Formats: sequence, C-alpha cells, structure tokens
Amino acid sequence: MNDPHDLAEYCVEFGRGLGAIYVEARYERKVGRGLAYRNGEPVSGGISPLSGIGVRLLVDGNIGFASFDRIEKNLAEEAITAAFKMAKNSRRKEPIDLGEPVANEGKWSVDVKQSLSDVDIDTIMDFAKQMNEQMNGLAQYTMMINPTVTDKFLVTSEGTKLTGHLEHIFMFTLLTAAGDTGSEQKFLDLTRCGGWEQVRETRVVEVLGEEVNRLKRSATQAKAVKELLERPIDIMVGPEVAGIISHENVGHPSEGDRIMGREGAQAGESFWRDLTLGESRVGSDAVTVCEDPTIPNTGGFYLYDDEGVKARKRTLIKNGIINEPLLNREFGVRFGRESNGAARASAFNREPIIRMANTFFEPGDHSFEELVEDVKLGIFMRSFQEWNIDDRRYQSKYTGSEAYLIKDGELTETMVKRPVLETTSVGMLSAVDAVSRDLRFDFPGTCGKSDPMQGVPVYAGGGDVRFRGIRLGGVG
Amino acid sequence: MTSMDEMKAIVDAAVDFAEDKTEGIIVRGTLGKESQVRFSQNSIDISKRWHEMKLEMFIILKGAQSGFAERSVTNADEAKQAVEDGIAFIKHLPESLFFAGVEEKVSKYKPVPDLVDPRFDDFTEKAPQFVNKAIEAAIDEGAVRVAGALAFGRQERYLRSSYGPSGESVATIFDLNVRAFQDELDYSGQGLTCGTKPTSAEKEMVEAGAKAGRLSKQASSAVQGEPGKYDLVLSPTVAANVLGFVPGAANPFMVLIGLSPLGDRMGQTIAPEGVSVWDDPTMPQGLGSRSFDFEGTPARKTTIVDGGVLKGFIHNTTTARMFETESTGSSGAAGLGSGVKMLLPVSSNIVFNQGDHSLDELLETNRPTIYVTCNWYMRFQNYQTGEFSTIPRDAMFLIENGEMKPIKNLRISDNVMRMFANIDAMGRDRTQVYWWEVSTPTFIPTVRVKDCRMSAATQ
Repeated sequence: MNDPHDLAEYCVEFGRGLGAIYVEARYERKVGRGLAYRNGEPVSGGISPLSGIGVRLLVDGNIGFASFDRIEKNLAEEAITAAFKMAKNSRRKEPIDLGEPVANEGKWSVDVKQSLSDVDIDTIMDFAKQMNEQMNGLAQYTMMINPTVTDKFLVTSEGTKLTGHLEHIFMFTLLTAAGDTGSEQKFLDLTRCGGWEQVRETRVVEVLGEEVNRLKRSATQAKAVKELLERPIDIMVGPEVAGIISHENVGHPSEGDRIMGREGAQAGESFWRDLTLGESRVGSDAVTVCEDPTIPNTGGFYLYDDEGVKARKRTLIKNGIINEPLLNREFGVRFGRESNGAARASAFNREPIIRMANTFFEPGDHSFEELVEDVKLGIFMRSFQEWNIDDRRYQSKYTGSEAYLIKDGELTETMVKRPVLETTSVGMLSAVDAVSRDLRFDFPGTCGKSDPMQGVPVYAGGGDVRFRGIRLGGVG
Repeated sequence: MTSMDEMKAIVDAAVDFAEDKTEGIIVRGTLGKESQVRFSQNSIDISKRWHEMKLEMFIILKGAQSGFAERSVTNADEAKQAVEDGIAFIKHLPESLFFAGVEEKVSKYKPVPDLVDPRFDDFTEKAPQFVNKAIEAAIDEGAVRVAGALAFGRQERYLRSSYGPSGESVATIFDLNVRAFQDELDYSGQGLTCGTKPTSAEKEMVEAGAKAGRLSKQASSAVQGEPGKYDLVLSPTVAANVLGFVPGAANPFMVLIGLSPLGDRMGQTIAPEGVSVWDDPTMPQGLGSRSFDFEGTPARKTTIVDGGVLKGFIHNTTTARMFETESTGSSGAAGLGSGVKMLLPVSSNIVFNQGDHSLDELLETNRPTIYVTCNWYMRFQNYQTGEFSTIPRDAMFLIENGEMKPIKNLRISDNVMRMFANIDAMGRDRTQVYWWEVSTPTFIPTVRVKDCRMSAATQ
C-alpha cells in the first residue's frame, strides 16, 4: 500500500476493527526549503520534505493517538495497536465525548497566484539579497527564509473526507542595532501566507527596511523620560502591540481546553474559568476582540480545522464582556455548545488541539490623529521586544522597542527608552477607551502550546488602541 | 518493522551513493519509538505513540558549498533519491561562510554508562499505572486537581561520515512533569523527574507527584507579593532555566548572531569562585549524553566556567577552526526554522558543581528572601546585555522570621549576567532538570542569588 490516502483510509478501517468507536486519520506532507544568512552572507540551506500519518481514536471514552512517518501498512498497524492498548488502559472516570458526528467532504486552499513549488531557488536567493540590503548597517542581523508547502488529507469514520492546501513563506529576522544609547534588539517575523506574489503585494522588502531604520533610531535616540514615571499616563499602542495583547491576554485565556484544565501542566489554565460567558466584564465597552481563520492570506488561515469542522469567525470579547471560548469537538461538548472550528495540529505527528488562528481588536471609528489629540501626557508604543504573561493569562508585561512621547495632543519625535506596560489583563483592558479604524495584522508569529510543543503560524493585530491612566511598570 | 541493521544498510546506501557525486557527506539515521501519556483533572486525557525513521544528511558538494537534507525513508532507493534531491538543491547555493570542514579522524567511542533501560519494552503498558500512582500521591499530599505528562522513548542511531567516522548508539529516556492545584487557579505546585530508566523510576515518579501536591497545599492562601529587591532562592527547576542560560550561551554561533552575553567575556570572572560549569555529554543517565557528535568527534567534558572564570565555549570543527582551537565534540544538526538545519555547536548536558548547603541552610537568612520553586516564560529585551524577565509560577514563598509565607503575582525582572555574578550559595541537592522550559538537560542544585529585582503589575 504505497498511496498515503489509501493508507489513511485503511487506518480508519483498522482502528474501527480494533474496537474504536471513532477514528480519524490525517496525512500531511510539508515540503520546506530554507536559507539562512548572517550579516548578509549565506550560512546554511536545506530541504525537508516531511510527511506521515497521524491517527486519533476514541476507545471506551479514552483517546489514543498514533503517528508514523513511512507509508507502510505493518507500521501503521503496530502504531495504532499500541495507541489503542494505551488508551484502553487509561480508564478515564469521565468518558470523552466528541458530540454530534461531523461529516464534511471537499477541498480547500489558500489563495495562490504563483505557487511556492514553482519558485526556483535562484529567485528566492535574489529576494534574500534585497532583504539583506535592507538590514545593512545594523551591528548584527540574521535571517531565515523558508518557503513551505503543506498538503493535508483528513478522513474519519464519520464520513469526513477533506483535502487542504497551504503555502507559507516563513521569514524571520533577528536584528541588533548599536547606537549612542546602547544596543537594541528585535525579533521580527515577516511570515506571509500564500504564493510568491505575497512578497510583492505585501511590500515585505520595504516593510523590513522601515523596521530596520526605526530600530536604528531607537538605539541612537531613545531615552528615559522621567515625568512618564511620576504618575499614570495615557498609552497608545500600534497594531503590533495590540496584536500581541489580543493574542496573549484574550486569545489564550479563551481556549476551552485551558479553561477546563487540560493544559494545566504545560501552557497553563485560564482566568476565564471563574467567569461567566455572556456576563463577566473583563474590559471596557470599547473592547471587542475576535478570532477568524477564514481571512484570506493570513498566517492562521484555514477553511476546515483538523477535526473537519468548518471554520468561522469567533467573537471572544464583545464590548468588554467575555462572549465565546475557542472550542474543538471535545470541549464543545463540555461547554454544552459545539465546536467552533479551533482544532489545529502543527504537523502529522501532533494531535489536533484548540488553537488561535488570527486574533485582533475589532477596529473602532477613530483616526490615529484623533486618538493622539486627546492625550495630554503619554506614549505611543509602536512595537515591543521583551514580553511575558503568567499561565492563567492574567499578569502580563510588554516592554517597548519603539516608543514615542505624546505631549499636549502631539506625537513628538522624542523616543522613549523601553517603557514597560506591566498590568493585569482586566486592569489593562478596562483602561481602553478607543480603538482606531485602521485594522492591520502587524504581528505575524508562531504560537507555542502543548507537550510535545506545537508551533503554529498565527497573525495578530488590531487598530491602534488607547489606554487611559496607566502607570508604567518595571523596575524604574 | 525496520531494525537497526536495516537502517544501517539504508544509511550506508546513501553515503555510498553520494561518494562520486559530492566532496563528502555525513548521514545520521534515527529509528525512534516514543510514547506519551498526558493527564489533567486527575484523569488521563490521551495516550500517544510515535514511530519514525529519518535520515539527516549534511552534504558537502564542493568546498564550502554545503547544506542539509532531512527525510523519512523506507528503503535504500528512497535514501538515494533523498541524496539526489539534496544535491539538486545545494548546487544552487553559494559557499557557506560558516563552514570550515568536518571531523576526519576515525576514533573508537567509549560508551556512556546507564543510557539504556534493558526492560524498556515492558514499560508501555505499565505507563498509565505509573501515572495514576503519581496522581494519587499528589492527592494524598493535599492536591485537589492534578495534571501532567509522562513521555518515554527508545532511540537508535547510526552515523556514517564519508570522511571516515562511523558509530551507533541506543538510548532510552523518560520525563515526568506533575502539576498539582487546589480548587483555586493560583495555589499550585510542580514535581519533575527524568532519566534513562523508566522501569526503575516508580519511586521517583511517585515522589514527583507527592512534591507537586505538597507544594500546592503549602501555596494555599498565597497573597500578593511586594515588588522590590530580594535575595532569591531558586529551585533547581528555576536555576536551570535562568542561570543555565549563561553556560548555554557559551556557543560561538550564539555570539555571532547576537544571542549571547559572553562574546567579550572570555577569561573574565563572571561568577563567584564557588561556581563551576561544564558541558558534559558523558554524564550517566544524562538525557543529552552521547558517545560522539554529529561529525563523529568523540564526546568529552568541556569546562565552561571554572571557579567563576569563563574558560571555554563549545565547538564543532568549523567553529574550532574559526577560533583557532579544537572541537569539543559538540557538533549537532541545529534547526533554524522550517526546512533548514545547520551544522553548529550544540549543548549536551549543562552541569553545575554541587554545593554544600541544605535547603534549610539556604533559607536561613535575615535578608529579604523569596524562595521560587518554578518559573516560565523567560524573555529577553537584549541578549547581549542580559536584560530579561520571567514569571514565577506555582508555589513561591517569602522567607520571614524563619517561616515560609506563600506569595504570588511577582515577576523576576533583572539582568541574567548580574544574577550569575550574584550567586551567593549553592545547595547539595543537584538534580537533572528537563521540561517544557528547560530543553537542554541541566544538572544543577538549588541556588541562592543576592539582590534580585522583582516587579509586579501596576493595575
């Protein structure tokens, strides 16, 4: 049996034969090519066509997962049998229920004009040269470019049969600028989703050049501004910082598996556990945060999730009230709802779990200038570097990389050195009084969760967000 | 099912096939069978099994024109095709500025003791029982809810270089992470254990559960901590993540790309005299132990910090030639994003010296002191200067008048080089740490660090 689709269908049949009441098999082939550069010079290149089948089965209310990387019937049978036995020995007190059967058939794909498969390595190297030129003049710079094409085939014992196609140009840089006020570093992710046309249509070369110039300025000009530490101030953040806040302070705590404790020993639980959906207020009326995998050519794009559920937009916080958690089939049942299509697996050898896709502050109706003109004393934090948040997703810290002083309604040229936004999630979201109308996804990233770690591409963003009366944090 | 002999034949086929098409090739085959049992809310959530057989190939086409190819294969024909595809890709690449040769000397390798559990095959069906015993131990100590993961696996490897070296290895590994909670979200504790012989680790696994349960109970009624300057007593779990970063950055590639604070510190005192650290791939039961590296250079212990002085970096052949020194047997296939690997120095086990204090002695102090048992999410503002922060999670205690008072919601916001220099005392409880936040196995005791800065949310 050499055809991976045939073997996936056989896996379903074999698992059912062992006694599993539900079996899903997902074949995934991910072909990545990559180049790495340091200070403009090539340091490595490689290819990695990785593929295999992951099988999940439900046995007497227990779940087992098996994966194998070679298309061999005997290997499939051995792996599935081992997972079946381990699952059977698990003896859960509360059986897992996946809810109503799901049977979707069809094909889906990200929009592609020029497939990455058709782009030769010389073209990629020419592009890399242009990118490296943008970083010239930095003290150090490292860049990885990895065009990757992913094909999926999902088949289940309930009748789902889906094929999916994704293309990502993973682009990641580490920038170090040295200047009069010390060195400043930034990890800058420029990942694009779609065909090779994305590098042109999204102006990625120009975007990198602009980021580099601003980092150089920050290393040269940023300084401490004492009066900002003396009292609460207004803080405006751009779509990059709004994006990381929507991801960390809203998206993660909305994950149903965290709320119910399944990630307890790894990514943690969620402060949403002790709140009531549709009732509990965690932010001001100006805060509406959504999640949407269906936005074309975004890092987290998909149309059917890895359990075969049709993807849709989710409103996590509506006007400051928690509204809807992210759910897969198992946790859809546990919440008395149904899956909202949030199950993703990072590769064939990982179980599908609840993940974000593209998370963002819904835009408001102000212009950027209107937000600035109401600020007497504050900062505009355009980008960040250091950040973290506790595992209940309640205590967070974002340290500015590029930040400007706002004084008497004017955005000044004065750059503020590393301002620290260190708050609770509710303390911060309650301080929002306005969001601009300019929705941008300025934060492509790789979201990590679970054990073994699953890194999946996501986008995050928003309009510009204004917080009123926040005291800067850190250690002064 | 593929055996070691079959894998060796496939690796040999790839190397032989590349002989007249390349200047050289190193092929490492890995045959792995791994499992994991994950649990939460006192019940097993999922049991997983992975089977893999992959080839990692470093191909030197001509001069420094080189690159990596990685692929799962079933037979010799697929291995040859993988070589062809790798060559077709690499022939378009310019010469790498980060390649200066590989190991050419053929050596005999000394096996590292205690890396294989002879009864490993019996463990798969027993694993759920071990997990349930760890959960029960946590509950017996006062936990209400218990979560965690037990991973275990067996890995066979065969390396062959066209330059001469070849070798094979077998290792078994396990690691257990137990986290216990009260009903509340923030009264929690963690217990860890790891090693190479899961079938004889039942006692340690039960104790990991018991420790998690005990700490979660002790953390009950934790109150908001006060930001400020404190001496910190870091458990081995925290010390491995925070202080282990420094010897982990004793890597020339990290320096060259701006991710190390050690670039200009060689020969300088960076810690008190009582602190020494090694990279040691020969540690018995070390999860990073091995007899030889990716190029076939024999593994050896490398001194990183000796009596507080930075003495050395780890090297492979390329970096050793760049820095006019010798390889430390640290060559590895390091991942650089989707699809790219690179031949780089890679840490094996980071090993700190044992100290001579008991935990009680470390906690006996008149200075403002906090005992941190676990942390996560360490992020840097600047790797070269060392400014970072990380969040204590699970039980944390303010030490006051000889008592441990549970506190919560503080963040370590400091400089990792300053903390390394401020190490004040080391415990005699050295243990191996490996978990979500510590990916390089690190042998380290409880460590006390003077004058650390703790911050908290402003609203």
